[in-house]
Amino acid sequence: MIDWNEVIALAMESFPKMFMAGITATIPLALVSFVLAMIIAVACAMVQYARIPVIRRIVQFYIWVFRGTPMLVQLFIMYFGMQSIGIRISAVTAAIIVFSLNTGAYCAETVRGSIEGVSKGQFEAGYCSGMNYMQIMFHVVLPQAFRTAFPSLFNNLISLVKDTSLAANITVVEMFMTTERIAGRTYRFMQLYLEVALVYLIFCTILTWVQSWGEKKLSYYDVKKV
Amino acid sequence: MAMLEIRGIHKSFGDAHILNGVDLSVNKGDVVAILGPSGSGKTTLLRCINYLETADQGTMQFKDETYDLSDTDHKRIAQFRRHTGFVFQNYNLFINKTALENVTLGLMTAGKMPKKQAEQIGMELLEKVGMKDRASYYPSQLSGGQQQRVAIARALAGNPEIIFFDEPTSALDPELIGEVLGVMKKLAEEGMTMIVVTHEMGFARNVSNHVIFMEHGVIVEEGDAHAFFENPKNERTREFLRMEER
Repeated sequence: MIDWNEVIALAMESFPKMFMAGITATIPLALVSFVLAMIIAVACAMVQYARIPVIRRIVQFYIWVFRGTPMLVQLFIMYFGMQSIGIRISAVTAAIIVFSLNTGAYCAETVRGSIEGVSKGQFEAGYCSGMNYMQIMFHVVLPQAFRTAFPSLFNNLISLVKDTSLAANITVVEMFMTTERIAGRTYRFMQLYLEVALVYLIFCTILTWVQSWGEKKLSYYDVKKV
Repeated sequence: MAMLEIRGIHKSFGDAHILNGVDLSVNKGDVVAILGPSGSGKTTLLRCINYLETADQGTMQFKDETYDLSDTDHKRIAQFRRHTGFVFQNYNLFINKTALENVTLGLMTAGKMPKKQAEQIGMELLEKVGMKDRASYYPSQLSGGQQQRVAIARALAGNPEIIFFDEPTSALDPELIGEVLGVMKKLAEEGMTMIVVTHEMGFARNVSNHVIFMEHGVIVEEGDAHAFFENPKNERTREFLRMEER
C-alpha cells in the first residue's frame, strides 16, 4: 500500500531541490545556449541569404551534420570523446557548445526562410533611401524576419529547455541529474520521475505564456490604431 | 546644359528585349511624364536609371559625372543615389517603421544625422505632404494614398535633385489618386525635377512640361507637353491617346 505520509515527505524534500536545480542550472543552461544559438543562426542565415561563396558551403555542411546526428551523440563526442583524445572541456561548457550549435543549426533555416519572406521592395526602398545592405538588413529586414520566425524560434527554445536533461549523461548537474541522485538514494523512481516531469511541464507552460505575450508585442506594427 | 543625360540604354531579361536604346535628356526643373502601354519598358527605364536594375549597356551624365549604367560598383551607385529619390508603385514603406521613422531612417543611418535633427526634418516633410498628424502611425494603419504621401516625404528626405516616380498612383483606389497627384503638383510648382512614369493623362497634360511616349523599348515620340497632346505626330501616339482618353 502507498504510504502517503512518505510520499508527501519525499515530495516536500525533492520538489524544492528540483526547482532550485531548474532555476540555477536548467534554465540558465537553456538561455545561454539559446542566445548563442541565435547569434549563430542569424549569422548563418545571412551567409546563406547573401549566397557568399565557400562560407556558404561550410554553413550548409555544419547544418547538415548537426541536424543529421543525435544530440546525445554530439554531447558524448564533445565531452567523453574530446577527453579521450586529451582535450579537456568542462561538462557544462561541452553542453553549452553542443546545445548552441545544435539549436543554431535548426534556427538558421528558420531565420533564412523568414528573411527570404521579406519583400524585395523593402531592400529597394532602403537602397533608394541611401542605406547600404547591412543597414537595411539590421534596421528593416531582420526585425521583420524576426517577427515571422518568432513562434518557430520559441518552439526551439522550449524544446531546448527539455533537451538540457540530456546533459545529465555527461555529468552536468542539472534538474534531471538532481532527480536521479535523489532517486538513487530513495529508490522512489516513479514518484520522482513524475515529479520532475511536472516541473518541466510547469517551466514549458510558463514559456508558452511568454511566447503568446511576445507574439502580441511583436505584432505592434500591424495593429490598427483606434 | 541638361542636368541628366542618358545615352543608349539597352536591357534584356533573357530573350525579352525590354529597352532597345533609349536616350533621355532632362533639364533642371523639368517634369517629364513617360507614357506608354504596359510592357513598353517605361518602368524598366526608370529602374535602370536608379540602378535598381543593371542595364546591359548605357551611360548617364549627371552633375559633371559620367556613370556607366551597367556598373555594379556599390560606391558609384550610392554616389548617384545620394542625389535622387524614388517613389514606388506599391509605396514600399518600411512596414516595421512609423511614418516618421520611414522618413528619418535613411538620414540617421546613411546620413549619420543625429536623431533630433532628422526628426525635425522628418516632421517638416510630413507636414509638406499633409501627413504630420499621422507621424506615429505604421504603414498598415494608413490608406494607400497616405502611404504614398509618406513615401514621397521619404524620397524628399535626402534633399534630392531629382525624383523618380514609378506609376505612383496605379495601385491606388480612384478616390485616393487626387491627394497624391496634389502633392506631386506642389513639388513640380516648387521647381523639383521629376521623371514620372504614369497613366494619369491629366497629370501629364497639366503638370508635366515634357512628355515621352514609349513602346517596345524605344521612344516613339517626345516633346513639349502641350504640343504632344494637341498635335501628336506619330500614328501610334495618336492611337494611344485615343485609347487612354476615351
